[in-house]
Amino acid sequence: MEPSRVQMITRDVLAVLVVAIFMFPIAWWALSSVKPYSAIFDRSGPVYTGFTPTPDNYRVTLLGVSRVDIGMEQGGEAAGVIKGGASSYDSRQSLLDSAIIAVGSTALTLLLATLAAYCLSRMQFSGQQSFLFWILSQRFMPPIAIVIPVVFMFRDLGLRDTYTGLILVHSLINLPLAVLLLKSFFDDVPREVDEAALIDGATRWQTFRRVVVPMVKGGIAATAVLCFIFSWTEFLLSLFLTTSIRTVPVKISTFVTSTATEWGYITALGTSAIIPSFIFILLVQRHLVRGLTLGSLKE
Amino acid sequence: MSTATFTQEGSSWALPRFMTAEHPFPWLAPITVMLLVFGIYPLAYSVWLSFHKRNVVSRQLDFAGVHQWARAFSDTRMWHSLETTLIYTFVALAVQLALGILIALLLDTDRKGYGILRALMTLPLVVPPAVTGMMFLLMQDGSFGVLSFYLYALDLISPAQPILTQPVTALLAILLADIWQWTPFMVLIILAGLRALPKEPFEAAAIDGANGIQTFLRLTLPMLRKVIAVAVLIRGVDLFRIYDYVYIITAGGPGTATETLSFYAGRIYFTGDFPYAATLSLIVLVVLIAVSNVFVRLFKVRF
Amino acid sequence: MSFRDHDKKTFIADTCNDFTANRMTKRDFMRKMALAGVGFSAFGSAMLGGGRSNRAGLGLGVEEARAQDTDMLKWLADVGKPYAGTKIRYTSEATPPTIVANQLVAGEFTKATGIEVEVEIVPLEQVLAKATQDVQGQLGTYDVYYLDQSWMATFAQDVIDPREYYGQNKELAMPNFDWDDFSKPLVDGIAMYNGKQCGIPFDIPIFILMYRKDLFDKHNIALPTDLDAYLKAVQALTEAEKGNGIFGTACQAKSGHYSLECDWTFALWGHGGSIFNKDKKFVGNDERGVAGLKFYQELVKNSPPSATTWTWDGQGQALTQGQAAMAITWGEDFPGFDANDSKVKGLFEALPAPKEVPGRRAVADCGFNEIPAVGHQGGSTISLSQYSKNKEAAWLFMQWVCSKDVMARVSTLGGGASPMRNSSFTDPRVKAKAVVGPGTTRHFDAIKYTIDNQMGSEPDMPIWADLSNNDIPVELGKLLTGQDYGGDAKACLDAIAGIVDGKVKDAGL
Repeated sequence: MEPSRVQMITRDVLAVLVVAIFMFPIAWWALSSVKPYSAIFDRSGPVYTGFTPTPDNYRVTLLGVSRVDIGMEQGGEAAGVIKGGASSYDSRQSLLDSAIIAVGSTALTLLLATLAAYCLSRMQFSGQQSFLFWILSQRFMPPIAIVIPVVFMFRDLGLRDTYTGLILVHSLINLPLAVLLLKSFFDDVPREVDEAALIDGATRWQTFRRVVVPMVKGGIAATAVLCFIFSWTEFLLSLFLTTSIRTVPVKISTFVTSTATEWGYITALGTSAIIPSFIFILLVQRHLVRGLTLGSLKE
Repeated sequence: MSTATFTQEGSSWALPRFMTAEHPFPWLAPITVMLLVFGIYPLAYSVWLSFHKRNVVSRQLDFAGVHQWARAFSDTRMWHSLETTLIYTFVALAVQLALGILIALLLDTDRKGYGILRALMTLPLVVPPAVTGMMFLLMQDGSFGVLSFYLYALDLISPAQPILTQPVTALLAILLADIWQWTPFMVLIILAGLRALPKEPFEAAAIDGANGIQTFLRLTLPMLRKVIAVAVLIRGVDLFRIYDYVYIITAGGPGTATETLSFYAGRIYFTGDFPYAATLSLIVLVVLIAVSNVFVRLFKVRF
Repeated sequence: MSFRDHDKKTFIADTCNDFTANRMTKRDFMRKMALAGVGFSAFGSAMLGGGRSNRAGLGLGVEEARAQDTDMLKWLADVGKPYAGTKIRYTSEATPPTIVANQLVAGEFTKATGIEVEVEIVPLEQVLAKATQDVQGQLGTYDVYYLDQSWMATFAQDVIDPREYYGQNKELAMPNFDWDDFSKPLVDGIAMYNGKQCGIPFDIPIFILMYRKDLFDKHNIALPTDLDAYLKAVQALTEAEKGNGIFGTACQAKSGHYSLECDWTFALWGHGGSIFNKDKKFVGNDERGVAGLKFYQELVKNSPPSATTWTWDGQGQALTQGQAAMAITWGEDFPGFDANDSKVKGLFEALPAPKEVPGRRAVADCGFNEIPAVGHQGGSTISLSQYSKNKEAAWLFMQWVCSKDVMARVSTLGGGASPMRNSSFTDPRVKAKAVVGPGTTRHFDAIKYTIDNQMGSEPDMPIWADLSNNDIPVELGKLLTGQDYGGDAKACLDAIAGIVDGKVKDAGL
């Protein structure tokens, strides 16, 4: 039964509409980031057009341009462009910090999770489901409860306020989901593939490394993207485990002070923070949709 | 991939014996060590803390038996926050699941352009939750928020009672942020499930003349049961620990109307009473372990 | 404080910083300052070091801006030499002293001593959480703490008495630091706990009356002389300005936030009540306490509806946007009203808060060193950590930032931030700015009077941070938003009494 033309068009319209609704907050956010101050806080109603877009919020947060210079160019406060605040708004170091931590923790997570997922997919042992449940249960603890002991632990290990420390903690958060995801990818590869390689004289490690892993490359990429996103967006642990290192979400939170909320810089850095993850998502979109079956269709 | 490849490079792959073993141990050892060190230690420490009491003068932690636990169970604020958390989790899950299924069905086609739509649909996932909170705070501001403006215009909300000042609407405001951010996660998981479904039963159903709704209820939904169960489990766990949105959008207000258990634990933590904060967090943990165990059994979830 | 006022302050501070660090020509500098609306002569003199006269002409003033208090910088360069390359850290809220210090530190302090200063600026509740974490684990993350007066008892054991340290370390003691120059009531109210001075007073937001003179004139309403009259005026103004969308007042009544607790103590003390009696029992629920809370409920009713979601930030914005006619609240909001882009420039006047009704409770009848008076103070100190590994370098920084020279400039560059030092009040440079305009100091008389005559101070007790940031404002929030207690002030206060007495007993205080 082929759908009629009307049905197809209705579906298209509906699909675009739904996606548009979900896109609206981000679009509004991005729009706000190029608005002058007065357009963000217009009480008469939402402002979509009729303002001169300004790149100043991005120049301050991403290029480290001093807001004094921007004030000069624009003819000073009469043009309403001078923004204030106490801390430095130059966020380049934060983007770098976040990138190092997200990449590091993604790599560590993938390393540990791939090994475990392959094993859990291929080997039968008693307590396997319990082991998986135990891994999943690592996600049950509220982050605030992890903060207290980990602060003391990191103090003794010298890991407080280090990249290594945050990489470890973010990996800890990501491991449960990564193992579940990767196991589902390995489950998709028929066992016969392994058996053939083993019969050919390959060791288990060679089979894993040279045969199976290359077959689930796409799935690993999809998992990597999710790990990257979750590390890139994590807030609470990054806040309390660091002082000098400022990941992007923590940096943004410092733009909200008791004396002013710097919406211009918040929206600019917020928009910039979305872009890298979105590019990765586009790259692995196919695998992502394929991958999140979590293996549950299999009995 | 031929045998020759392996034998040729066999020597360079001469790994320690335990790595080539068929035993699960070497495969699972690294992750186990990691989880034991960084997972069990915080847990053990929290449990230890929950049996202690902070002496505010000497700042020592004195053993106090079940003091904190007794305190928690007689704490009406704890019960209220637990109730709020349950309402929040239930509503968010139901809406995200329903929307997730509908949107996944809508986007599940190979027609041109839908790949882009699917990718755009995942966009909310990449926004840091703390930023999502601010995003909705900006849109829901009583004076210049775009959302408030449209709600006023539609007469759904009165300007005399801005969205964040009323208990019910404030909770809805946080739920809205959560639903916006995490419905796409449901969509992704269910889409993946839909795409993995075998084609034959659907072709048979079409020949039998079943309509779309019948096919969905009798075929699609039962076959997706397990995918949905895992999705609900993962999402439910995260919802029950909700913190960021509450902290940024309402900070638990008005009154304590939007105070969730995890946020309450955070508040206590912020004031320095670590033992009680740990106890409240452990309640979150215990509830989650209990509920998810029942859930796993009830829905025969296999990972 | 409004956005725009804040913008200006930091713009000015940034510009000065660039100039003093030789990154800007004099011509550029003067142009930028003109943009910020700073009069040259006033500004030139503001940039002079302490003790210099403001007769300095325009050109001279700008040139002198580079030099500052050269004696002090020379001294710092001398004693700071052994500590060059050290990095010290502190965490703070974004208040004017921190903002100004943060902007000046590189060009002056670090340039002289080679000691680097890293400031971690976070919202107030995170400052508390981070400091708590630091002392609990004795992490030594921070060398210097920024401590709110309400936390003093909590952190007393973690900080070094600065006067003792000054006396014991003669070689590090800044000449002419002049401890007696700090307002005595401020030192007592903010920094002292059990006879120990826990830090140097650093910031003093304090409650004064700020009102729209134009509206009072328009409706022919008399200035209130006591709090009863104040409430009547608020109600009259709400009624009179209904059509214009202006409310009688604006509160900072966010549930569960410290700002609500501040508003409440003002109402309580203003009605002759107190939080504790001399037996250390909660008495905020006595007759006077109930009258105070009922008064506050009325104020909230006469505020814009979002007031129950506002902290001091939202309240300040509402006043600056012309949404409310008057308020008894933080005097540091005042300069924002006079900013060029404020909707109420020149319309606000400042006075000390009207008298308590029926009168003030005696200090001797209160517990935990509570001082009940209508002028609630929210001061803070800058304190030296016991656990710091760089105490000497941190101590030099503290003396620099609290020196006469820097503190005077905190008041002028910080856009009319209230002074800690008596000398700042009488300083001609500060007086010169007592006119309508950005960074005005024309409210300083009201501030000074309040500090000397009607400053209210919260109790000193180790669990006060907990009670004031959590239990009390949470229960008050339930009442004000109608979640609980059915609008019954007495029932709410009785519940608070139960919680507070329980915690005090539990803590063994």
